[in-house]
Amino acid sequence: MLLTVFVYVSILAFIGLSLYKAYQYAKMPMHGRWELYPVPKEPGGKGHYGGSYYEDLEWWNKPREVSHAGEIIDMLKEMLFIKNLFINQRRQWWLSYALHLGIYLLGLWTVLLAVGAITELSGLTLSTPEGVSNNAWASLVYYATFISGGAGALLLGFGSLSLFLKRCFNNTFAKYTTPQEYFNLFFLFAVVASGMVVWSADPGFNYGREIMKALFTFSPIQADTALTIHILLLGAVMIYIPQTKMSHYVGKYFAFHKVLWDNEPNLRNSKMESIVKEAISYKPKASWSAPHINPAAQQEKK
Amino acid sequence: MGDIRPQDISKPSEQLVKVENLMPLPAPYDKPGMEPDFKEIKDSWKEDYCASLDGFVGNEALVRPKTKEEEEALVKGFLRGLEKLFSDETNRNYLQPFLLSFEYCAKCNTCSEACHVFKASGEQEIYRPIFRSEVLRKIAKKHFNGDSFWSKFTGGDIDINAETILRLGELAYRCNLCRRCAQTCPLGLDNGLLAREIRKLFSMELGIAPKPLHEKGTMLQLKTGSSTGITKDAFLDMIEFLEEDIYERTGKKYKIPVDKKGADILLTHNAGEYMAWPENPAAFVILFEEAGLDWTLSSDMIGYDNVNYGLFYDDAQTRKIGLAQLKAAKELGVRRIVVGECGHAHKAAMVSIDRAMVGEDNIPRESFLPLLADLIKKGVYKLDPSRNDFPVTMHDPCNVARMMGVIQPQRDIIKAVAPQFREMYPHGAKNFCCGGGSGFAIMKSFNFPEFRNKISSRMKFKQILEAFQGVMEEDIPKYVAAPCSNCKGAIRDILEYYQATAKFNVHYGGLVELVVNAMVQFDRPFLEFLDEEEFVAKHVKK
Repeated sequence: MLLTVFVYVSILAFIGLSLYKAYQYAKMPMHGRWELYPVPKEPGGKGHYGGSYYEDLEWWNKPREVSHAGEIIDMLKEMLFIKNLFINQRRQWWLSYALHLGIYLLGLWTVLLAVGAITELSGLTLSTPEGVSNNAWASLVYYATFISGGAGALLLGFGSLSLFLKRCFNNTFAKYTTPQEYFNLFFLFAVVASGMVVWSADPGFNYGREIMKALFTFSPIQADTALTIHILLLGAVMIYIPQTKMSHYVGKYFAFHKVLWDNEPNLRNSKMESIVKEAISYKPKASWSAPHINPAAQQEKK
Repeated sequence: MGDIRPQDISKPSEQLVKVENLMPLPAPYDKPGMEPDFKEIKDSWKEDYCASLDGFVGNEALVRPKTKEEEEALVKGFLRGLEKLFSDETNRNYLQPFLLSFEYCAKCNTCSEACHVFKASGEQEIYRPIFRSEVLRKIAKKHFNGDSFWSKFTGGDIDINAETILRLGELAYRCNLCRRCAQTCPLGLDNGLLAREIRKLFSMELGIAPKPLHEKGTMLQLKTGSSTGITKDAFLDMIEFLEEDIYERTGKKYKIPVDKKGADILLTHNAGEYMAWPENPAAFVILFEEAGLDWTLSSDMIGYDNVNYGLFYDDAQTRKIGLAQLKAAKELGVRRIVVGECGHAHKAAMVSIDRAMVGEDNIPRESFLPLLADLIKKGVYKLDPSRNDFPVTMHDPCNVARMMGVIQPQRDIIKAVAPQFREMYPHGAKNFCCGGGSGFAIMKSFNFPEFRNKISSRMKFKQILEAFQGVMEEDIPKYVAAPCSNCKGAIRDILEYYQATAKFNVHYGGLVELVVNAMVQFDRPFLEFLDEEEFVAKHVKK
């Protein structure tokens, strides 16, 4: 039963800590504009070539047009394909994308395990010792789980190990890599390697559906040593990720949407104006000490 | 020292790196002897300033401590400032972008390929965009976590001593803050921002910033209204001189409107234009008057000089100057401010202080580029592009293109007046910095101009040479249009340094001068490098 509780705790910790991280960034004070073009939400061709509303004569008298589609498309390209890395550093992209695609596929695998567990709890068995069920839905779920889980594990394993080795043997990478960054990659590899050990004894991921069923019914997870180690490592990495820079799935949202792509002008009587009004009314409780900012601080020093 | 790592910045040595093996330049600068060698650094500079990074001294306010106590005070002050960068009380304006860039870098090195300084230097390690950022991270981790296991585990493996601080202070001025690196970052992070945060820490906590930016820049501007230090009377004399100058150039008399209350447009210039390139404000006078615009200049110094060097190093100075400039416009009762050919003034006035005021204080501001493009499109001027029938290329100022998204209007303008226009590659939002950005164009102390001319401006010079390939060695004039005062200054310096004007007839200037040169109503060239007799014979007396 302890394992069941641990899995619940690690899932909740992953979600809770990630949301807390997002909350911390979201509640920071309004910052000065620091946009960088191209800004994909600029409409027409502007979002592509890097233009903005500043190209229009008397731009403040023109209706503000924003292409949400442009922003979403660019966001998806970056999220799903790591576009910037693909364009600017292809070699690294192959390794990094393998890792990320592996994670995405394992995310899908997790969902499919849950779907499979629900299907089995509903009375339709996906597989028996004789083979995979003849039922179309059951076999679809079974094979989709098998493909996403297998491909995801292999890609994540390859990605994390190759990035780890690149950081060890490529001098330029090695000199900027901290012990924690090696550990992070190794940790991911350890999780996937332990998973592969378990998977090798049960290629159909039946163990995964059993875990899901245990979670849904809040009953004990039946695990041998290998599975116990895998569950412990997987849970630990889920608790660990949001506390490290591997939580860049949070940071990336703010870096693009709230910094590089935030070019909302402060127009009179706009919503932005009221945000600015509130922000500039704040009186900071501390100050910098240079003479041109705080002559009193210099006097005190003397 | 050979294979440099970020933590090596704290290790004592006479000079951390010696810059050699620069990026090769294309023809005709691919032959030996086509560019001057680096000069030896003076011993006195080494004793008094920080020449121990790369042998260049850019920040003359960063004086080497003479005693142990002074060293301790420098380190202590820096660390106090570092804490303020992380505080939502003292760094409200940049806390979120700063923390994102500080926390999330994956060290994938994608940014390195985008950096013109790194590439031009022959990939010198200390100029790699993440080198400086990583030093800052290591210092912060060491400072906040001490010598603990966690500190070392997360990268806090650096000695924080006076040498570390001095070198980092210099290194903050080896980045043009062009932010080209940030365009390529898969995580949207910004090493340019971190370089500026380091500059800010030095300025706002320790009062240390290069004199041309601070003492003779923003401080002088806040005192007199202009970083040129010019008085109102001298300005009015200058306007009178400008009227005479225009008459001499064109044969037509113009009255320049000054302090016209309630005018539609307040036109602002980088005051350096009046001193170094009066033909630029002169061209604006011609274009605005011929279009019949209701415009004015301000004789209130803060209202006529649009520079805001605070943008490069200090939030407080940026804000003070920006708000004072708007106040001057408000007092004049103008409907809008139009910013002339100055890149950083564009960004400072329109972007950087956009969230610093509300209501009536928020006077609309716009670039001259859409205005001029619109006037040309409407056919307000009679233009003959054949008057500019020589190879022309154009530099996109980073602050106008990459940081404001103004790309197309300048192309509409230049294509209307320059039949032999050719782009540099890359250009627009992906352009390379001129090498003078973030204050480098006006930082002329010690041997810093050598760093600029040979390293930070090298990529721009390469682009210029490539744009003129095929005609470079022909004895015809070639023109680099740079609609920005600082960029123009940097390009002027490289053309002089590499003797490109003397040897290959390469000239530079603004965009508006090209437009005026194409105006058929004048019977002499506006661009001084053109042969007047030939011009008249070809375009006036035919």
